[in-house]
Amino acid sequence: METYNRKMGLISALPLACVLFLAFLAPLVVVAVFSVMPAKVFGLLHMPDFSAYAVFFEQGYYRSLLWSLGMAFVSTFILFMLCWPLAFAMVKIFGRFTTVITVAVVMSLFVSENIRLFGWVLTLMKGGLFEGYFRLWTGIGFESPLYDVPVIIFGLVYVYLPFMLFPLAQGIAMVSDDLRQAAFDLGATRIQVLLKIDLPLAAPGIVVGCLLSFVLAAGALAESKILGGQAVIAIADDIETAFTFGQNWPLGAALSMILILIIGVLALIGISRVDLDKIMGRKF
Amino acid sequence: MLDDSFLSFRNVAKKYGSFSAVDDVCLEIDEGEFFTIVGPSGSGKSSLIRLLVGMDEISSGEIYLRNRRIDTVPANQRPTCMVFQSLALFPHMSVGENIEFSLQLKKIGKRECKTRALELLELLQLPQNFYTKRIAQCSGGERQRVALARALAFDPAILVFDEPLSALDYRLRKTLEKELKDLHQRTGKTFIYITHSLEEAMVMSDRIAIMSNGKFEQIATADVIYSKPKSRFVAEFMGDVNLFKFTFDENGSVVSPGLDIDSEVLNRLSPEWDNGYIMIRPETFVFDSNDRSMSSITGRLKQEYELGSRIQYSVELDSGDIVTVEKLREDRLNANLGEVVTLYFQIENCHLIPG
Amino acid sequence: MRTSRAMRICLYAYGCLLIVFLYLPLVSVAFASVSKARYLTFPIKKYSFKWYSVALESSTVSELFVTSLTIALVVTVFSLIIAFFGALAFARYDWRFRTWFQKLILLPIFFPQTVLGLALLMWFNSIGVIPSWKTAVVAHLVWIAPIATLIVAIRAYSFDPALEEAARDLGANTSTIFRTITLPLLMPGLISAGLFAFLLSWGNFPLSLFTTGADSTLPEWLYAKMVSGYSPLVPTLGVASIVASLTVIGATLTLIRIFRMTRE
Repeated sequence: METYNRKMGLISALPLACVLFLAFLAPLVVVAVFSVMPAKVFGLLHMPDFSAYAVFFEQGYYRSLLWSLGMAFVSTFILFMLCWPLAFAMVKIFGRFTTVITVAVVMSLFVSENIRLFGWVLTLMKGGLFEGYFRLWTGIGFESPLYDVPVIIFGLVYVYLPFMLFPLAQGIAMVSDDLRQAAFDLGATRIQVLLKIDLPLAAPGIVVGCLLSFVLAAGALAESKILGGQAVIAIADDIETAFTFGQNWPLGAALSMILILIIGVLALIGISRVDLDKIMGRKF
Repeated sequence: MLDDSFLSFRNVAKKYGSFSAVDDVCLEIDEGEFFTIVGPSGSGKSSLIRLLVGMDEISSGEIYLRNRRIDTVPANQRPTCMVFQSLALFPHMSVGENIEFSLQLKKIGKRECKTRALELLELLQLPQNFYTKRIAQCSGGERQRVALARALAFDPAILVFDEPLSALDYRLRKTLEKELKDLHQRTGKTFIYITHSLEEAMVMSDRIAIMSNGKFEQIATADVIYSKPKSRFVAEFMGDVNLFKFTFDENGSVVSPGLDIDSEVLNRLSPEWDNGYIMIRPETFVFDSNDRSMSSITGRLKQEYELGSRIQYSVELDSGDIVTVEKLREDRLNANLGEVVTLYFQIENCHLIPG
Repeated sequence: MRTSRAMRICLYAYGCLLIVFLYLPLVSVAFASVSKARYLTFPIKKYSFKWYSVALESSTVSELFVTSLTIALVVTVFSLIIAFFGALAFARYDWRFRTWFQKLILLPIFFPQTVLGLALLMWFNSIGVIPSWKTAVVAHLVWIAPIATLIVAIRAYSFDPALEEAARDLGANTSTIFRTITLPLLMPGLISAGLFAFLLSWGNFPLSLFTTGADSTLPEWLYAKMVSGYSPLVPTLGVASIVASLTVIGATLTLIRIFRMTRE
């Protein structure tokens, strides 16, 4: 039986592994190689140099990286605070309503990110849903919050909410009710139960949720462009510009590599500490 | 309204809609008692202790501990501590941290916590190096003891047990039953234990309460419940027991299919009702007797079962009833299956139960 | 440990608020799509379905729909096949590199799609492949196949290996087992995964942007219009896109129901 399992496992993994090797890992290698090519070339057959990386520091690209990381961090934090009570309620309190929320959130994921962000533009702009009707009813107009940093963070929170909510819920589901009741029985207050039981035991879900939200937000582009205008340039924006307008693939590749390295290290640390079988509910 | 009891339940009820899980229960428990509530699933015993420790709210009635009302006190402030069926040991903490949990919540110093934890490890016969051990590395029996230590660290007035041994294998259960009884004697605390096994209850308890459908059928010592059950439910809860229906007709004579005894014999037991059951325990019968005062019935030996130290016989009477007889090995009956056998019994060793 | 009544009400309200918040922008989009004016302001003065008819008649729009649809369908088919086997490798068989495999699959999901799209562009260029809708399919697969695999894997985790062993005991060979036992048991997961694959591909933008080349998908077009200046077709097509998604979901659920009824 063991050799059967081994053989079947290997064969079954082949299709997906092939796709990933050929279309994920290989491109990453190409990016890495491109990043050490001289500026503005489109081929790989040149002598390597690190000029693109130097440009990163010299021409201030590190600023957009720091902005992206900073906004990602803030939005992840906000997401955690917002989603924890909801995730807790979904697992422990809501019952049927949980399904309603799950379906609603999942369905919203199927609508293109652009449409949803565009909808916020329509809602928040001057003359938009909020301001237009508010002015109609009260006669007072107000400035649109668009094209500034807070609204970008708002957009990040909005788009990446499901990626924090579902892992958190999954993590909380791993905290058995018996344990909470036992802690309470032994004299703990509600806050002590939260700190000593809920948070530590839901840790895998918390790690996955925060990691996913942070990583995706760090590489996000649409929010800063559509909602934020040019108030702040995200690193993904700079990468795109380097490729398209800048016609400088090595620079784009170098910027990408820096982002990939940061995200890669975080992702690998997070994923390696989480037991996937457990969090996905393995029974056999 | 003061009284002497340590713990008392007064007209306690728990209702879910029209269903009463606990139906108007009154109970008094003495300090230091080992009190067991026995009943089948759904009898309400779990619901009752959940009301006691505060995990559910009472629908009506009151619970008093040392003359103070505790049903209005939140669960984390009650001087009760529960040992769960699943044990509920915190998997992310070590054995020591589990035991010290309640002490750390009270902000007791680290050194004192450790001392207390080590003391409890010793009391529960666990090695001192278990202090840093992970829960996952402990065996079933060891985990039981850690759960006990954790509860004792809390120093509760009442220790409540929710069927803690039912998931264990036979040998471990038997060992732990005796250890629990020892622990009770050594700590002197009040233990309230629930289980579905009357046999288990009889090993450990001072008093037993049999519960069914949210009410108590009988509350007494093990001895009384065994020999003088108050109802058919309690009698049959013990396992194999022979019940013969009897009825007094208009003339005052006894009709008892299967048993064929006359009213003179039955009246020696002073029956208080017109109909009911005569309970004869399997070990009461003898196969051979010259004593004229004994009554007898005859039937065919249907089956023989080896039970280790005892042997159980099924005897089929002419009326079709099956009688269960149990004898010790040395009193084995030498007869073949299908043979006619005579069973003798002393009516005074029987017990009457209302119909 | 009971939660107080007040807290429960707050939490339910919070949940409802979340749903409103999630769908509010779509409400705006829907309103905008039926506004007659060329430049949008709220409150809307005149309502009309004019822009829908413009969209329906436009050849550009139908091209966009066809491209998006084709890509989504192809991605769905491939994802399902890959996910079926991938989920078994992920959850069912105990083989040597299983944990490595699990972690490998997660990487594309944790990856910023913009960077992935650009990386693929560079890759295609260096191996001499011209970007078209076919390369977009590959790009989508990189991200969507792992997600589909995870969805089916959840189902595969509760799959009792004893069932397969019993079948083998009764004489079935591997392909029969797959056909008669594994496939039916994983079917609910496959249906969810298929639905996810289609819809995620249909609405995807970052990957399509860089890898479709001359072809263009609906989300790409929407984005281009959004950043270059408002066009009333944007909300219109946005709504149309959503309606298409809902239709697909509805059709799938109906098919499932019919399928179930014919079996009984």
